[in-house]
Amino acid sequence: MRLFVFLLLLPMLASAASADEAGARLFTPCRACHSLDPAKRGLPGPNLAGVVGRAVGGDAAFDYSPVLRKAREEGLRWDAPRLESFLADPAEMFPGLWMSMRGIEDAAERKALARFLANPASR
Amino acid sequence: MNRRQFLKTSAAGILATPALARLAGAQESPFRVKYYPVASGMGSRDVTPAPDGTMWFCGQRNGTLGRLDPRDGSYKLVDLGKGAAPHGVIIGPDGAPWVTEGGQNAIARVDPGDHKVTLFRLPENEAYANLNTAVFDKNGIYWFTGQSGIYGRLDPKSGDMTVFKSPRGRGTYGMTITPKGDIWYASLAGNHIGKIDPATGNATVVDPPMPNQGARRVWSDSKGRIWVSEWNSGNVSMHDPADGSWKAWKLPGDNPRTYAVYVDDKDKVWLTDFGANAIVRFDPVTEKFNAFPSDKAGANVRQLDGKPGETWGGESGNNRLVMIQTVAPA
Repeated sequence: MRLFVFLLLLPMLASAASADEAGARLFTPCRACHSLDPAKRGLPGPNLAGVVGRAVGGDAAFDYSPVLRKAREEGLRWDAPRLESFLADPAEMFPGLWMSMRGIEDAAERKALARFLANPASR
Repeated sequence: MNRRQFLKTSAAGILATPALARLAGAQESPFRVKYYPVASGMGSRDVTPAPDGTMWFCGQRNGTLGRLDPRDGSYKLVDLGKGAAPHGVIIGPDGAPWVTEGGQNAIARVDPGDHKVTLFRLPENEAYANLNTAVFDKNGIYWFTGQSGIYGRLDPKSGDMTVFKSPRGRGTYGMTITPKGDIWYASLAGNHIGKIDPATGNATVVDPPMPNQGARRVWSDSKGRIWVSEWNSGNVSMHDPADGSWKAWKLPGDNPRTYAVYVDDKDKVWLTDFGANAIVRFDPVTEKFNAFPSDKAGANVRQLDGKPGETWGGESGNNRLVMIQTVAPA
Protein backbone atom coordinates (compact mmCIF):
# COMPACT_ATOMS: atom_id res chain seq x y z
CA MET A 1 0.00 0.00 0.00
CA ARG A 2 2.82 2.37 0.93
CA LEU A 3 4.53 1.62 -2.36
CA PHE A 4 1.28 2.29 -4.20
CA VAL A 5 0.85 5.72 -2.55
CA PHE A 6 4.49 6.55 -3.25
CA LEU A 7 4.09 5.66 -6.91
CA LEU A 8 0.97 7.78 -7.10
CA LEU A 9 2.80 10.76 -5.60
CA LEU A 10 5.96 10.28 -7.62
CA PRO A 11 4.94 12.47 -10.60
CA MET A 12 3.89 15.26 -8.20
CA LEU A 13 7.16 15.02 -6.29
CA ALA A 14 9.15 15.05 -9.51
CA SER A 15 7.20 18.06 -10.72
CA ALA A 16 7.83 19.93 -7.46
CA ALA A 17 11.53 19.13 -7.59
CA SER A 18 11.66 20.33 -11.16
CA ALA A 19 9.93 23.58 -10.17
CA ASP A 20 12.43 24.05 -7.33
CA GLU A 21 15.30 23.59 -9.75
CA ALA A 22 13.73 26.05 -12.16
CA GLY A 23 13.24 28.57 -9.37
CA ALA A 24 16.86 28.26 -8.27
CA ARG A 25 18.02 28.62 -11.86
CA LEU A 26 15.84 31.68 -12.42
CA PHE A 27 17.21 33.28 -9.27
CA THR A 28 20.82 33.01 -10.55
CA PRO A 29 20.99 36.41 -12.28
CA CYS A 30 19.24 38.04 -9.31
CA ARG A 31 22.19 37.03 -7.12
CA ALA A 32 24.22 39.90 -8.57
CA CYS A 33 22.24 42.18 -6.24
CA HIS A 34 20.20 40.01 -3.84
CA SER A 35 20.76 37.30 -1.27
CA LEU A 36 18.44 34.86 0.51
CA ASP A 37 20.91 34.45 3.34
CA PRO A 38 19.58 36.63 6.17
CA ALA A 39 23.14 37.26 7.33
CA LYS A 40 24.27 38.65 4.00
CA ARG A 41 23.97 42.44 4.02
CA GLY A 42 25.27 45.40 2.06
CA LEU A 43 24.40 44.18 -1.42
CA PRO A 44 23.03 46.53 -4.11
CA GLY A 45 19.54 45.08 -3.64
CA PRO A 46 17.50 44.30 -0.53
CA ASN A 47 17.92 41.00 1.30
CA LEU A 48 15.13 38.69 0.14
CA ALA A 49 15.05 36.22 3.04
CA GLY A 50 11.41 36.01 4.09
CA VAL A 51 10.26 38.37 1.36
CA VAL A 52 6.94 36.58 0.83
CA GLY A 53 4.68 37.69 3.65
CA ARG A 54 6.53 40.85 4.55
CA ALA A 55 5.78 44.46 3.61
CA VAL A 56 6.78 45.78 0.20
CA GLY A 57 9.98 47.71 0.83
CA GLY A 58 10.33 45.70 4.02
CA ASP A 59 14.10 45.28 4.45
CA ALA A 60 14.67 47.86 7.17
CA ALA A 61 18.37 48.08 6.34
CA PHE A 62 17.79 48.96 2.69
CA ASP A 63 17.31 52.37 1.07
CA TYR A 64 14.42 51.76 -1.36
CA SER A 65 13.34 53.80 -4.35
CA PRO A 66 10.56 56.35 -3.65
CA VAL A 67 7.88 54.23 -5.33
CA LEU A 68 8.60 51.30 -3.01
CA ARG A 69 8.74 53.53 0.06
CA LYS A 70 5.30 54.80 -0.93
CA ALA A 71 4.03 51.23 -1.36
CA ARG A 72 5.30 50.38 2.12
CA GLU A 73 3.54 53.44 3.58
CA GLU A 74 0.34 52.31 1.87
CA GLY A 75 0.61 48.96 3.61
CA LEU A 76 1.26 46.75 0.59
CA ARG A 77 2.61 43.29 1.36
CA TRP A 78 4.26 40.63 -0.77
CA ASP A 79 2.23 37.52 -1.35
CA ALA A 80 2.71 34.97 -4.10
CA PRO A 81 0.18 36.46 -6.57
CA ARG A 82 1.59 39.97 -6.13
CA LEU A 83 5.14 38.69 -6.52
CA GLU A 84 4.29 36.78 -9.68
CA SER A 85 2.56 39.83 -11.11
CA PHE A 86 5.57 42.00 -10.17
CA LEU A 87 7.97 39.60 -11.90
CA ALA A 88 5.99 39.90 -15.14
CA ASP A 89 7.04 43.55 -15.46
CA PRO A 90 8.42 45.19 -12.29
CA ALA A 91 8.42 48.72 -13.70
CA GLU A 92 4.80 48.36 -14.77
CA MET A 93 3.72 47.62 -11.19
CA PHE A 94 6.03 50.21 -9.63
CA PRO A 95 6.88 52.94 -12.16
CA GLY A 96 10.16 54.64 -11.35
CA LEU A 97 11.57 51.56 -9.61
CA TRP A 98 15.34 51.83 -9.23
CA MET A 99 15.84 48.13 -10.01
CA SER A 100 16.15 47.55 -13.73
CA MET A 101 15.21 44.26 -15.37
CA ARG A 102 13.04 42.87 -18.12
CA GLY A 103 10.05 41.00 -16.77
CA ILE A 104 9.68 37.23 -17.02
CA GLU A 105 7.21 36.41 -19.79
CA ASP A 106 6.52 32.79 -18.92
CA ALA A 107 3.88 32.37 -16.18
CA ALA A 108 5.28 28.98 -15.11
CA GLU A 109 8.72 30.53 -14.64
CA ARG A 110 7.28 33.36 -12.58
CA LYS A 111 5.48 30.84 -10.41
CA ALA A 112 8.64 28.77 -9.98
CA LEU A 113 10.68 31.82 -8.97
CA ALA A 114 8.02 33.03 -6.54
CA ARG A 115 7.86 29.54 -5.03
CA PHE A 116 11.65 29.48 -4.66
CA LEU A 117 11.60 32.88 -2.93
CA ALA A 118 8.82 31.77 -0.61
CA ASN A 119 10.70 28.69 0.55
CA PRO A 120 12.52 29.45 3.84
CA ALA A 121 15.10 26.79 2.98
CA SER A 122 16.14 28.54 -0.25
CA ARG A 123 19.54 30.12 -0.27
CA MET B 1 15.24 41.34 -43.56
CA ASN B 2 12.57 39.83 -41.35
CA ARG B 3 10.26 41.29 -38.79
CA ARG B 4 12.17 39.85 -35.86
CA GLN B 5 15.31 41.59 -36.90
CA PHE B 6 13.87 44.85 -37.98
CA LEU B 7 10.80 46.29 -36.43
CA LYS B 8 10.14 49.68 -37.81
CA THR B 9 7.85 51.66 -35.60
CA SER B 10 5.12 53.81 -36.92
CA ALA B 11 6.70 56.67 -35.03
CA ALA B 12 9.34 57.28 -37.68
CA GLY B 13 8.64 60.55 -39.35
CA ILE B 14 5.25 61.03 -37.72
CA LEU B 15 6.21 61.60 -34.12
CA ALA B 16 3.04 62.95 -32.58
CA THR B 17 4.69 64.65 -29.65
CA PRO B 18 7.47 67.00 -30.63
CA ALA B 19 10.66 66.83 -28.64
CA LEU B 20 10.23 68.88 -25.52
CA ALA B 21 12.75 71.58 -24.88
CA ARG B 22 13.25 73.91 -21.97
CA LEU B 23 15.97 76.10 -20.62
CA ALA B 24 17.46 74.78 -17.41
CA GLY B 25 16.38 77.39 -14.90
CA ALA B 26 18.93 78.82 -12.49
CA GLN B 27 21.80 77.11 -14.29
CA GLU B 28 24.74 78.75 -15.95
CA SER B 29 23.81 79.32 -19.54
CA PRO B 30 23.85 78.23 -22.29
CA PHE B 31 22.90 74.75 -21.06
CA ARG B 32 19.67 73.67 -22.65
CA VAL B 33 17.75 70.49 -21.82
CA LYS B 34 15.78 68.68 -24.50
CA TYR B 35 13.63 65.57 -24.17
CA TYR B 36 12.82 63.00 -26.86
CA PRO B 37 9.85 60.71 -26.11
CA VAL B 38 10.25 57.13 -27.34
CA ALA B 39 8.08 54.02 -27.16
CA SER B 40 5.96 53.52 -24.06
CA GLY B 41 7.14 50.76 -21.75
CA MET B 42 10.50 50.21 -23.43
CA GLY B 43 12.70 51.29 -20.52
CA SER B 44 15.04 53.41 -22.64
CA ARG B 45 18.39 53.22 -20.90
CA ASP B 46 21.99 53.16 -22.21
CA VAL B 47 22.72 55.41 -25.19
CA THR B 48 25.56 56.13 -27.58
CA PRO B 49 25.99 58.51 -30.51
CA ALA B 50 26.29 56.97 -33.97
CA PRO B 51 28.74 58.39 -36.53
CA ASP B 52 25.85 59.69 -38.66
CA GLY B 53 24.38 61.90 -35.92
CA THR B 54 21.65 59.52 -34.80
CA MET B 55 21.54 58.06 -31.27
CA TRP B 56 21.35 54.37 -30.45
CA PHE B 57 19.56 53.42 -27.26
CA CYS B 58 18.65 50.21 -25.44
CA GLY B 59 15.08 49.22 -24.65
CA GLN B 60 15.68 46.81 -21.82
CA ARG B 61 11.98 46.21 -21.12
CA ASN B 62 10.90 45.43 -24.68
CA GLY B 63 14.06 43.83 -26.04
CA THR B 64 14.84 46.40 -28.72
CA LEU B 65 17.65 48.65 -29.81
CA GLY B 66 16.38 52.07 -30.79
CA ARG B 67 17.76 54.61 -33.22
CA LEU B 68 16.71 58.21 -32.70
CA ASP B 69 17.12 60.97 -35.23
CA PRO B 70 17.49 64.10 -33.07
CA ARG B 71 16.74 66.34 -36.02
CA ASP B 72 13.05 65.50 -35.99
CA GLY B 73 12.63 63.21 -32.96
CA SER B 74 11.69 60.21 -35.08
CA TYR B 75 12.98 56.79 -34.10
CA LYS B 76 13.08 53.17 -35.21
CA LEU B 77 13.24 50.05 -33.07
CA VAL B 78 15.23 46.94 -33.94
CA ASP B 79 13.92 43.74 -32.34
CA LEU B 80 16.94 41.92 -30.89
CA GLY B 81 15.21 38.55 -30.48
CA LYS B 82 13.00 36.56 -28.13
CA GLY B 83 13.58 37.43 -24.50
CA ALA B 84 16.10 40.14 -25.32
CA ALA B 85 16.97 42.63 -22.56
CA PRO B 86 19.70 44.93 -23.86
CA HIS B 87 21.71 46.79 -21.23
CA GLY B 88 24.56 48.70 -22.88
CA VAL B 89 25.47 49.87 -26.37
CA ILE B 90 28.72 51.20 -27.84
CA ILE B 91 29.96 51.92 -31.36
CA GLY B 92 32.58 49.58 -32.77
CA PRO B 93 35.46 50.36 -35.11
CA ASP B 94 33.12 49.15 -37.87
CA GLY B 95 30.65 51.94 -37.09
CA ALA B 96 28.05 49.45 -35.87
CA PRO B 97 26.33 49.38 -32.48
CA TRP B 98 27.44 46.48 -30.25
CA VAL B 99 25.12 45.54 -27.42
CA THR B 100 25.52 43.70 -24.12
CA GLU B 101 22.36 41.66 -24.62
CA GLY B 102 21.62 40.13 -21.25
CA GLY B 103 18.33 38.49 -22.18
CA GLN B 104 19.92 36.12 -24.68
CA ASN B 105 23.25 36.05 -22.80
CA ALA B 106 25.01 37.26 -25.92
CA ILE B 107 26.86 40.15 -27.47
CA ALA B 108 24.74 41.54 -30.29
CA ARG B 109 25.97 43.45 -33.33
CA VAL B 110 23.38 45.41 -35.26
CA ASP B 111 24.24 46.34 -38.81
CA PRO B 112 23.74 50.10 -39.13
CA GLY B 113 22.60 49.69 -42.74
CA ASP B 114 20.01 46.93 -42.78
CA HIS B 115 19.68 46.46 -38.99
CA LYS B 116 20.50 42.76 -39.24
CA VAL B 117 21.25 41.32 -35.81
CA THR B 118 24.24 39.02 -35.26
CA LEU B 119 24.60 37.28 -31.90
CA PHE B 120 27.81 36.09 -30.25
CA ARG B 121 26.59 33.84 -27.46
CA LEU B 122 28.51 33.32 -24.22
CA PRO B 123 29.76 29.80 -23.45
CA GLU B 124 27.14 27.49 -21.92
CA ASN B 125 28.99 27.36 -18.62
CA GLU B 126 28.39 31.12 -18.29
CA ALA B 127 24.66 30.90 -18.88
CA TYR B 128 23.64 33.70 -16.49
CA ALA B 129 26.33 36.33 -16.92
CA ASN B 130 23.99 39.30 -16.48
CA LEU B 131 25.79 41.22 -19.23
CA ASN B 132 26.31 44.86 -18.48
CA THR B 133 28.81 47.25 -20.14
CA ALA B 134 31.56 47.08 -22.76
CA VAL B 135 34.42 48.92 -24.48
CA PHE B 136 36.55 48.30 -27.56
CA ASP B 137 40.31 48.28 -27.02
CA LYS B 138 42.83 49.76 -29.42
CA ASN B 139 43.18 46.43 -31.24
CA GLY B 140 39.46 46.18 -31.92
CA ILE B 141 38.81 43.60 -29.20
CA TYR B 142 35.46 43.96 -27.45
CA TRP B 143 35.71 43.76 -23.64
CA PHE B 144 32.57 43.31 -21.57
CA THR B 145 31.36 42.89 -18.00
CA GLY B 146 28.71 40.62 -16.49
CA GLN B 147 27.21 41.53 -13.16
CA SER B 148 27.11 37.90 -12.06
CA GLY B 149 30.89 38.20 -11.63
CA ILE B 150 32.57 37.86 -14.97
CA TYR B 151 34.30 39.90 -17.60
CA GLY B 152 35.34 38.82 -21.05
CA ARG B 153 36.81 39.51 -24.44
CA LEU B 154 35.40 38.95 -27.91
CA ASP B 155 37.35 39.14 -31.13
CA PRO B 156 34.71 40.41 -33.58
CA LYS B 157 36.66 39.13 -36.59
CA SER B 158 37.03 35.51 -35.51
CA GLY B 159 34.16 35.36 -33.01
CA ASP B 160 36.56 33.93 -30.40
CA MET B 161 35.37 34.68 -26.91
CA THR B 162 37.07 34.21 -23.52
CA VAL B 163 35.32 34.71 -20.21
CA PHE B 164 37.20 35.44 -16.96
CA LYS B 165 35.97 35.22 -13.38
CA SER B 166 36.04 38.60 -11.66
CA PRO B 167 38.10 39.07 -8.54
CA ARG B 168 35.75 39.02 -5.51
CA GLY B 169 32.89 37.59 -7.57
CA ARG B 170 29.59 39.28 -8.33
CA GLY B 171 29.09 42.94 -9.11
CA THR B 172 31.17 43.60 -12.24
CA TYR B 173 29.40 46.58 -13.79
CA GLY B 174 30.79 49.65 -15.62
CA MET B 175 33.82 49.67 -17.90
CA THR B 176 36.06 52.30 -19.51
CA ILE B 177 39.21 52.63 -21.61
CA THR B 178 41.86 55.31 -21.06
CA PRO B 179 43.51 57.27 -23.88
CA LYS B 180 46.58 55.08 -23.36
CA GLY B 181 44.47 51.96 -23.85
CA ASP B 182 44.16 50.69 -20.29
CA ILE B 183 40.86 49.00 -19.45
CA TRP B 184 39.16 49.53 -16.10
CA TYR B 185 35.94 48.18 -14.62
CA ALA B 186 33.84 48.96 -11.53
CA SER B 187 32.32 46.37 -9.20
CA LEU B 188 29.06 47.48 -7.60
CA ALA B 189 28.67 44.58 -5.19
CA GLY B 190 32.45 44.14 -4.88
CA ASN B 191 33.07 47.79 -3.90
CA HIS B 192 36.19 48.27 -5.97
CA ILE B 193 37.53 49.20 -9.35
CA GLY B 194 39.94 47.05 -11.29
CA LYS B 195 42.40 47.28 -14.14
CA ILE B 196 42.45 44.56 -16.78
CA ASP B 197 45.61 43.62 -18.62
CA PRO B 198 44.41 43.11 -22.22
CA ALA B 199 47.36 40.82 -22.97
CA THR B 200 46.69 38.30 -20.21
CA GLY B 201 43.12 39.10 -19.19
CA ASN B 202 44.22 39.33 -15.57
CA ALA B 203 42.59 41.96 -13.35
CA THR B 204 44.17 43.99 -10.57
CA VAL B 205 41.86 45.27 -7.85
CA VAL B 206 42.13 48.87 -6.64
CA ASP B 207 40.14 49.71 -3.51
CA PRO B 208 38.65 53.20 -3.16
CA PRO B 209 39.27 54.80 0.23
CA MET B 210 35.54 54.80 1.09
CA PRO B 211 34.51 51.30 2.21
CA ASN B 212 31.29 49.82 0.80
CA GLN B 213 31.01 52.73 -1.60
CA GLY B 214 29.23 50.78 -4.37
CA ALA B 215 31.43 51.68 -7.35
CA ARG B 216 28.94 51.34 -10.18
CA ARG B 217 30.36 52.97 -13.30
CA VAL B 218 33.73 54.35 -14.44
CA TRP B 219 34.86 56.76 -17.14
CA SER B 220 38.36 57.93 -18.03
CA ASP B 221 39.20 61.59 -18.61
CA SER B 222 41.72 62.77 -21.20
CA LYS B 223 44.58 62.33 -18.71
CA GLY B 224 43.72 58.70 -17.96
CA ARG B 225 42.27 59.48 -14.54
CA ILE B 226 39.39 57.18 -13.62
CA TRP B 227 36.15 58.82 -12.48
CA VAL B 228 33.86 56.61 -10.43
CA SER B 229 30.15 56.93 -9.63
CA GLU B 230 29.66 55.57 -6.11
CA TRP B 231 26.07 54.38 -5.67
CA ASN B 232 26.12 53.69 -1.94
CA SER B 233 28.16 56.69 -0.77
CA GLY B 234 26.61 59.23 -3.16
CA ASN B 235 30.11 60.36 -4.10
CA VAL B 236 31.93 60.93 -7.32
CA SER B 237 35.51 59.87 -6.84
CA MET B 238 38.63 60.11 -8.98
CA HIS B 239 41.57 57.76 -9.05
CA ASP B 240 44.82 58.79 -10.70
CA PRO B 241 46.70 55.62 -11.64
CA ALA B 242 49.82 57.71 -12.28
CA ASP B 243 50.39 58.29 -8.58
CA GLY B 244 47.78 56.03 -6.98
CA SER B 245 45.90 58.96 -5.45
CA TRP B 246 42.17 59.29 -4.80
CA LYS B 247 39.84 62.25 -4.34
CA ALA B 248 36.11 62.20 -3.65
CA TRP B 249 33.26 64.70 -3.63
CA LYS B 250 29.75 64.22 -2.26
CA LEU B 251 26.99 65.14 -4.68
CA PRO B 252 24.61 67.90 -3.55
CA GLY B 253 21.37 67.13 -1.72
CA ASP B 254 20.22 65.13 1.29
CA ASN B 255 20.55 61.61 -0.04
CA PRO B 256 22.51 61.45 -3.30
CA ARG B 257 22.69 58.08 -5.06
CA THR B 258 25.28 58.37 -7.80
CA TYR B 259 24.46 55.99 -10.64
CA ALA B 260 26.19 56.99 -13.88
CA VAL B 261 29.35 58.88 -14.80
CA TYR B 262 30.56 60.28 -18.11
CA VAL B 263 33.47 62.64 -18.83
CA ASP B 264 32.99 64.96 -21.78
CA ASP B 265 35.54 66.23 -24.29
CA LYS B 266 36.29 69.23 -22.02
CA ASP B 267 36.99 66.92 -19.07
CA LYS B 268 33.81 68.02 -17.30
CA VAL B 269 32.26 65.20 -15.32
CA TRP B 270 28.58 64.32 -15.76
CA LEU B 271 26.72 62.16 -13.26
CA THR B 272 23.22 60.98 -12.56
CA ASP B 273 21.75 61.17 -9.08
CA PHE B 274 18.69 59.00 -8.40
CA GLY B 275 18.20 60.65 -5.00
CA ALA B 276 17.70 64.05 -6.63
CA ASN B 277 16.17 62.68 -9.88
CA ALA B 278 18.78 64.74 -11.70
CA ILE B 279 21.69 64.83 -14.07
CA VAL B 280 24.57 66.61 -12.37
CA ARG B 281 27.59 68.31 -13.90
CA PHE B 282 30.83 68.51 -11.90
CA ASP B 283 33.63 70.85 -12.86
CA PRO B 284 36.91 69.39 -11.55
CA VAL B 285 38.59 72.80 -11.86
CA THR B 286 36.16 74.79 -9.71
CA GLU B 287 34.90 71.70 -7.80
CA LYS B 288 31.34 73.00 -8.27
CA PHE B 289 28.21 71.05 -9.17
CA ASN B 290 25.29 72.05 -11.40
CA ALA B 291 22.12 70.01 -11.12
CA PHE B 292 19.61 69.47 -13.91
CA PRO B 293 16.57 67.84 -12.30
CA SER B 294 14.20 66.08 -14.65
CA ASP B 295 10.83 67.69 -15.22
CA LYS B 296 9.23 64.30 -14.52
CA ALA B 297 9.51 62.08 -11.42
CA GLY B 298 11.34 58.76 -11.56
CA ALA B 299 13.57 59.56 -14.55
CA ASN B 300 16.21 56.96 -13.60
CA VAL B 301 18.97 57.84 -16.06
CA ARG B 302 21.26 54.80 -15.81
CA GLN B 303 24.07 55.80 -18.14
CA LEU B 304 25.42 58.84 -19.93
CA ASP B 305 27.39 59.34 -23.13
CA GLY B 306 27.80 62.17 -25.54
CA LYS B 307 29.65 64.05 -28.22
CA PRO B 308 31.21 67.51 -28.25
CA GLY B 309 28.60 69.97 -27.03
CA GLU B 310 25.98 67.38 -26.07
CA THR B 311 25.51 65.06 -23.10
CA TRP B 312 22.91 62.30 -23.58
CA GLY B 313 21.09 59.86 -21.36
CA GLY B 314 18.05 57.62 -21.35
CA GLU B 315 15.26 58.30 -18.87
CA SER B 316 14.47 54.63 -18.33
CA GLY B 317 11.57 55.45 -16.01
CA ASN B 318 9.94 57.89 -18.41
CA ASN B 319 10.70 56.28 -21.78
CA ARG B 320 12.49 59.36 -23.06
CA LEU B 321 15.98 60.33 -24.06
CA VAL B 322 17.41 63.49 -22.59
CA MET B 323 20.06 65.73 -24.10
CA ILE B 324 21.83 68.60 -22.39
CA GLN B 325 23.36 71.01 -24.81
CA THR B 326 26.64 72.18 -23.32
CA VAL B 327 27.69 74.54 -26.07
CA ALA B 328 25.50 77.08 -27.81
CA PRO B 329 24.81 76.00 -31.40
CA ALA B 330 26.79 77.93 -34.01
